[in-house]
Amino acid sequence: MNAPLKALDEMIRLTSPFPESVTVKEWRTTGRKVIGWFNPYVPEEIIHAAGMLPFEVTGNNEPVEMQGAEAQIYSNSCSKIRTCWQLQLDGKYRFLDGLVSSHMCDQDMRLFEVWSYYNKLPYMELIYAPRKRDEVGVQLYLKDLEVFRSRLSQYLICRIPDEHIANSIKVYNRGRELMKQLYELRKRERPPVTGAEALEVSKAAVRMPRERFNELMEQLLDEIERTGREIKKAMRLMLIGSDLHNSTQIANLETLDAVVVVDEMDIGIRRAWGQVDTKLPPLEALARHYVLGRPVDKHNWNSDGRLEFIGELAEQYKVNGIVSQIVRFCTYNGWDKFDLKKQMQERGIPILEIDLEYGHPAGAQVKIRAEAFMEMLESHAT
Amino acid sequence: MTTTTDHLLTIQDFQDGIRRAKEGVKKQPGLMRSTAGFFDMLATYVDRIANAHDEGKLVATHGTQQPLEIFEAMDIRGVFNEFWGGVGDMIRLESVPEALALSASTGTPGEVCSFFRNMDGLMHAGKWPKSDMFLYATSVCDNVKAFHTLGRRYGIPSFGLERSYLPYTDHAMEHWKNEYKRLIAFLEEQTGKKMDYDRLKEVVALSYRLTELHLEIDKLVASVPCPLAPECYSGTLLAIRLLPGTQKAVDYLEELRDELKERVEKGIGAIENERFRVMWSSFTPFFDPTLQSFMQKKYGAVSVCDMLSHWRGDAKWMLNPDDPLGNLAYRTLLAPGNCQYSSAVDVATNLADKVRRFKVDGAIFNNNWGCKTGAAYGPILKDELMRQVNMPSLIIHCDVLDHTFISRAEIESQMDSFFEMIETSKAYKERRNPK
Repeated sequence: MNAPLKALDEMIRLTSPFPESVTVKEWRTTGRKVIGWFNPYVPEEIIHAAGMLPFEVTGNNEPVEMQGAEAQIYSNSCSKIRTCWQLQLDGKYRFLDGLVSSHMCDQDMRLFEVWSYYNKLPYMELIYAPRKRDEVGVQLYLKDLEVFRSRLSQYLICRIPDEHIANSIKVYNRGRELMKQLYELRKRERPPVTGAEALEVSKAAVRMPRERFNELMEQLLDEIERTGREIKKAMRLMLIGSDLHNSTQIANLETLDAVVVVDEMDIGIRRAWGQVDTKLPPLEALARHYVLGRPVDKHNWNSDGRLEFIGELAEQYKVNGIVSQIVRFCTYNGWDKFDLKKQMQERGIPILEIDLEYGHPAGAQVKIRAEAFMEMLESHAT
Repeated sequence: MTTTTDHLLTIQDFQDGIRRAKEGVKKQPGLMRSTAGFFDMLATYVDRIANAHDEGKLVATHGTQQPLEIFEAMDIRGVFNEFWGGVGDMIRLESVPEALALSASTGTPGEVCSFFRNMDGLMHAGKWPKSDMFLYATSVCDNVKAFHTLGRRYGIPSFGLERSYLPYTDHAMEHWKNEYKRLIAFLEEQTGKKMDYDRLKEVVALSYRLTELHLEIDKLVASVPCPLAPECYSGTLLAIRLLPGTQKAVDYLEELRDELKERVEKGIGAIENERFRVMWSSFTPFFDPTLQSFMQKKYGAVSVCDMLSHWRGDAKWMLNPDDPLGNLAYRTLLAPGNCQYSSAVDVATNLADKVRRFKVDGAIFNNNWGCKTGAAYGPILKDELMRQVNMPSLIIHCDVLDHTFISRAEIESQMDSFFEMIETSKAYKERRNPK
């Protein structure tokens, strides 16, 4: 039994209770603002450069009971956006001064609209998220970032200068570098952290000031090396699909003889990926990173690259199998299912597909399927 | 599990079905004269696709928000995937459920839009019109990703137009126009032919004529009683969405306009006793092609407008006759159905304008199971229509194409209460009996 990681415990302490945590309360007592954001095409660096706390709007480890959300967002939409809206209705996100989203998917865009219509915040902004990864997409996105910077400056009544953005880029680049190091350590035969713990780290990154997160990440990596922490499990799994914020879902999976060693989620490895070019003008550098610099994601039309990325990661991390968990009503993941399965079959990587409601713990039926999958992996290994 | 494929529609079935309908309407008394012209236009559309390869022309399956005038000028025959599902339901209702079952058998989840699942299933069965390319654009619908996915699966080249979210800024307009240039470059590569810009100007001019006719027809349809009967209700939408830039579509809308004019002058309505004027605040019930006729008979409820069929504002999109691409860039932003890409409040404001112009008594919102946009903006439309124009809405949870998703009996039960509620409302009484 490994001892708990002190740095991780501190991250969890600082980001609890969810969402209006110790950190959020402390931040606001000094009169500073908190800006919520929805999806990975919102560059946190610009909010950070404005001296505000970027905070990702999500659910967390507890399922949220729908009590009213479906009056404003019908049930044939993804349960992640309904969860976020229910949390807003429950008053959990009352600390937000503003909200930024992107047109990454219809549902994110419409959650933004519902928020804007039924509970308008002092600052709200929507950015386009290019579907194509090319120069035209970069320029289109760059224009929206310029508008974003300009309007956030107006809200702040103070121009957000290039130097501030350049500094924020350095801070966030350091965060990416540290998170990438943790991903590298998970390639070990016996990884130092579980998948559930790794998810808690990723969540902390988007819920506290990045400088503090970076300090704790350095401590975490040091602690891992000092203690020689190892997770001893027979099977190595990769988690892909919709963003997941309920780490107990992963913990439940890891009660079996398996550990999640890598993921393909926006909240996970994509956030740790690459570096923003510090030699370019800062907004252009951000545009290039967010459109071209990260692995292909589910919203990109040409998803071939996403499937290749998943296959390559699975091989690099020597996984025995992939668990694909898709929140129901996700159009993008839905259209990738057929080719994903086919390509992983061609690579000889078994895949377990689970359709879930966002935030809900995997029930008995999922557990039975996971157990059967593990048995299959064991026989596959022998 | 075996999936039956006995009822799946082929292009030949489309041709036969439309021809039969065209003959059938001649024998049915009481229908609008333009009904024959409507089916004639549909027949032309389908025949052009069926004969394209024999005539040395390419076929492009495409999604919504496409500059069809560019295809027309390059002799490319478009297959609009949504039309194929909607008109398929008019020909044989059993085809769509079978296609959806086939799509499910490939692993495609049932929660994505059935316009695309229908295409997926028919392609899997080899019954989709043979296509040389797929063309699509960022729109209100994430499902357009399916064009790339299916293109990869079946080895069909594809091109997507990237569209800005805030479409009316200068840079967005310039970007959109540039995207058309990229599209033309792609089409030139596929066809091996250069774009003839003089021809494009002519096609664009014909398309603009179609818009003018459409606007004239709207004014006539707004008359009380409404002169437009259900059998011709989709005429304007399909002319604009299938054959813009063609003489065929212009001829049809001229014929329809003239007949409507005559009916208005004679005071002929779609029905004798018009009790309710209905707006479909999303799409008309494609999944149940006879529902509008049923509503007329049972409730005296006439469909007068919907969200997909009408232009934004006065739609004067011919900015400069010598700049066909600039005109088209603007045209597709104003085009029917395109307002969905905007904010829900903007969509609602457009709908509220229709409520006033078409003197609507009640709105019906079809919440398509596979549509994530509708799922989130439906409630705002409902609330905003009530706030802006005191207009009640009925929400029908349905599938855009699959008639098995909700029964007619269930819809009827909801409509019974809805129309009863309208009829007893103060607003309705005031509209019908002004002091």
